Amino acid sequence: MTLALSHVTKRFGNTVALDDISLTIERGEFICFLGPSGCGKTTLLRIIAGLELAEEGTVTLEDRDLSEVPARHRNFGVVFQSYSLFPNMTAARNVGYGLECRGRPRAEIEARAAEMLRIVALSDHAHKLPSQLSGGQQQRVALARALAPDPEVLLLDEPLSALDAKVRESLRLEIRDLQRRLGITTIMVTHDQEEALTMADRIVVMDTGRIAQIGTARELYDRPASRFVAEFIGRMNVLPVAGGRLAGLPLAVPQGATLIGIRPEDVRLHAGEGPPGRAILPARLTNTIYLGNLAHLVLSVEGIEHEIVAEVPGHACKAIADAPQIGLELPAETIKVLA
Amino acid sequence: MTALTADRAAPAVRRSRRNRLAAMLPAVVVGLPLILFVLFPLAHILGRSFSTPDGFGLANYAAMLGNERFLRITWNSFAVTLVSAAVAIVMAYAFAYAVQRSTMPLRNLFRMIAVLPLFAPSLVQAQGLVLLFGRNGLINRSFGLGIDLYGYWGIVIASVLYVFPYAFLILSAALAVADARIYESAEMLGASKWRAFRTVTLPATRYGLAAAIFVCFTLVITDFGNPMVIGGDYTVLASEVYNQVIGQANFEMGTVIGMVLLIPAAIAAMVEKRVSAKQYALISEHSRPLVPQKDRLRDLALLAVAVLISAAILSIVLVVVFASFVHLWPYRMTFSLRHYAFDVQNGIQPLWNSIYVSVMAAGIGVVAVTAAAYVIEKFPSPAARGLYFLSILPAAVPGMVLGLGYILAFNSPSNPVYAIYGTLVIIAIANVYYYHAHGFLISGTSIKQISGRFDEASATLGGSRRQTFAKVTLPLLFPTLVGIAVFFFMRSMVTLSAVIFLITPNTQVAAVSVLYLQDRGATNQAAAFSVCIIATIMAVLLAVRLLLNAMGHRNVSLIR
Ligand SMILES: Nc1ncnc2c1ncn2[C@@H]1O[C@H](COP(=O)(O)OP(=O)(O)OP(=O)(O)O)[C@@H](O)[C@H]1O
Ligand SMILES: [Mg+2]
Repeated sequence: MTLALSHVTKRFGNTVALDDISLTIERGEFICFLGPSGCGKTTLLRIIAGLELAEEGTVTLEDRDLSEVPARHRNFGVVFQSYSLFPNMTAARNVGYGLECRGRPRAEIEARAAEMLRIVALSDHAHKLPSQLSGGQQQRVALARALAPDPEVLLLDEPLSALDAKVRESLRLEIRDLQRRLGITTIMVTHDQEEALTMADRIVVMDTGRIAQIGTARELYDRPASRFVAEFIGRMNVLPVAGGRLAGLPLAVPQGATLIGIRPEDVRLHAGEGPPGRAILPARLTNTIYLGNLAHLVLSVEGIEHEIVAEVPGHACKAIADAPQIGLELPAETIKVLA
Repeated sequence: MTALTADRAAPAVRRSRRNRLAAMLPAVVVGLPLILFVLFPLAHILGRSFSTPDGFGLANYAAMLGNERFLRITWNSFAVTLVSAAVAIVMAYAFAYAVQRSTMPLRNLFRMIAVLPLFAPSLVQAQGLVLLFGRNGLINRSFGLGIDLYGYWGIVIASVLYVFPYAFLILSAALAVADARIYESAEMLGASKWRAFRTVTLPATRYGLAAAIFVCFTLVITDFGNPMVIGGDYTVLASEVYNQVIGQANFEMGTVIGMVLLIPAAIAAMVEKRVSAKQYALISEHSRPLVPQKDRLRDLALLAVAVLISAAILSIVLVVVFASFVHLWPYRMTFSLRHYAFDVQNGIQPLWNSIYVSVMAAGIGVVAVTAAAYVIEKFPSPAARGLYFLSILPAAVPGMVLGLGYILAFNSPSNPVYAIYGTLVIIAIANVYYYHAHGFLISGTSIKQISGRFDEASATLGGSRRQTFAKVTLPLLFPTLVGIAVFFFMRSMVTLSAVIFLITPNTQVAAVSVLYLQDRGATNQAAAFSVCIIATIMAVLLAVRLLLNAMGHRNVSLIR
């Protein structure tokens, strides 16, 4: 079941919400749209759902053009950020609503609703109204409701953002587990990078209406294509270079590189001058942030405007902090060229 | 929220001209009755006011402006209206403040007393005043006094009591919402209670206050029942329209005065709509509701105010009830049911007519205002904007002007509507469109709240527009619709001005009977009719309340 977007563009007045988005999603994949607020994630999801119209570009499912298909005939399940359960219906009737609209026999509707509620572990709450359920329970009902008509694609718009941290974590696993079991193609919108990293097969990082990069969590972390991705996913020291040199020190990077990045955990620190023969910069410790098992050391290097953050194990921290002199090494294989 | 939803799926660029016209169709269909029953009659009024024996011209207006009597009547109207509105606003603000912001006892009881006059025909105030202070009133007879209430002060007192409940409802809603945090910061900054009231409470309720002022203004200047009964020789614009049309069959003059009446009413209504839309923005979702704190002195003072005003309201209503049960007020005060025999021309028939008309108005009204609000929300188009304007236009039109428009527009066999002219149906329709704006705004607010959130959810689950409406929108809307039906029923039972020109001997309604009987000096029978109206409305309210409670809808306000 390939879902393909090609050259999707959407404007709201003068704001370009989406600018020439192309993307192919494989059957059974779990995709996350990740990006800062206002970058167009929701708009893209709504276009896929058929709730919004693209000005240009097409959405196709198995080569079938969906542009003229209204939302209610697309058979895509959608879970909204604000639950949107029908307040006048019990949990069971909410879940059965999709089949009810399709005119299925009553017995089938009831059986399916009961089955879906069992899957989300809410069988005991079938006859409660949404107002009698907790936020997490409501969102599980919403999930069951979206899945009950056996949709081709499941679309989730920040489904967990209204919930507290504990519930969010357990529901994350629950959704991921359910998605794997049903093998349903799923797209989830989020601006929480941890959520995207833990749940998605592939992540689509978006920046002001464009796709910044597509890849697995590993790929994005290890090989960010741009400064935006590098800084959005995890932490990154971003340093300008010129002529392959950083503060006079030659680095193993292409001559034309202007910007490099290195993750705090990749920065290597030496108490003292460090082993001879390696490319090491003398550094001065300006701040220490203890995080329990880890520590972030903030260092400044002569000739580099920005401070560099290094992540070291908590126990190694004292030796470096007490050293009269610190050597800062940027291992060649961990340097990422960003521009 | 975006304006585009699921079912309008054809991209804008691909949408053909025909589709655009099709999108306007619902608004046009729903708008047609409004054009027929609001715009068309108004156009007739306007046309007739310019029609003179020598063709179209300004002669009628010129004649009126040169007429000293007319200028005096206009002055009278404003003198009554401004004073009554001002007094009513001050009283209603104090009363609403007492109910919403104090800890005085029996607040719910006071709230009910304040709205009690809404259940009575709109001339009950004058009726009660006549029974108490009239030439043959209780006070003058008992104490041998010569108080003469007929005239300016009679109208002012009656008008104040007449508009008090409307002002109370608006101000009480404005005072009900308050953000405790603002008061806390005022207190932290060292503001005294009085200062906090002036700098926080008054500004926060300014929109409600403005709305109440304009509503009171419109109600008083267009009211003619009270001035008819207690005005004596003091004539105001509204009673002059009646005199010209019914008394002298001078339709031209009636329409000209109607137009003069329409202008201030229209301005007031427009300002009011603009202002009340702003009320909601004052409360953010983070605000914390204010819980009134105990303050002995303040609460005692407010209690005294509330008791005084309640006493005035209750004495008016109770004296009417009392008078309906005595042999001959105020000479033979023995219990008697003879006024309930209704051995007058039509007997009890007008009451049945009223109930029939009110039920019909409730039914038609709910459908009409809900359809208009639904179409405007769901089928946005230029036509929908026109529909919105037509829907709230009636708020600017005095009832008598609308009624007069109906006579002029439909009293001709060549007009298809003539088929229902002179029947109870046209009276019900007049009531529907006279109260259209208010009902429309209630249902519009409700539909907006419901639709945005659930329509898209329903669409993605495969629900068609019709299914969404039947399974989601309608059930959620139901309590509001009941409230709107009750609103139309109540107002139709008590209104005079919209129907006064439309009744025939066979289609007389109860409120008009009260006026005629009172006019003839049959005060006891008039009182009995009023009591029947009050009792009917209370019974209906009680029944609907019980029904709603049984269905689990407890927080529905039925008195609007
Ligand atoms: N109906 C609308 N009318 C006008 N502008 C809109 C509308 N919907 C979205 N936008 C604009 O389009 C851009 C993308 O909005 P969108 O809701 O897709 O962002 P988002 O990535 O989902 O952000 P968030 O994380 O805050 O939900 C924003 O600049 C927004 O202001
Ligand atoms: Mg969003």
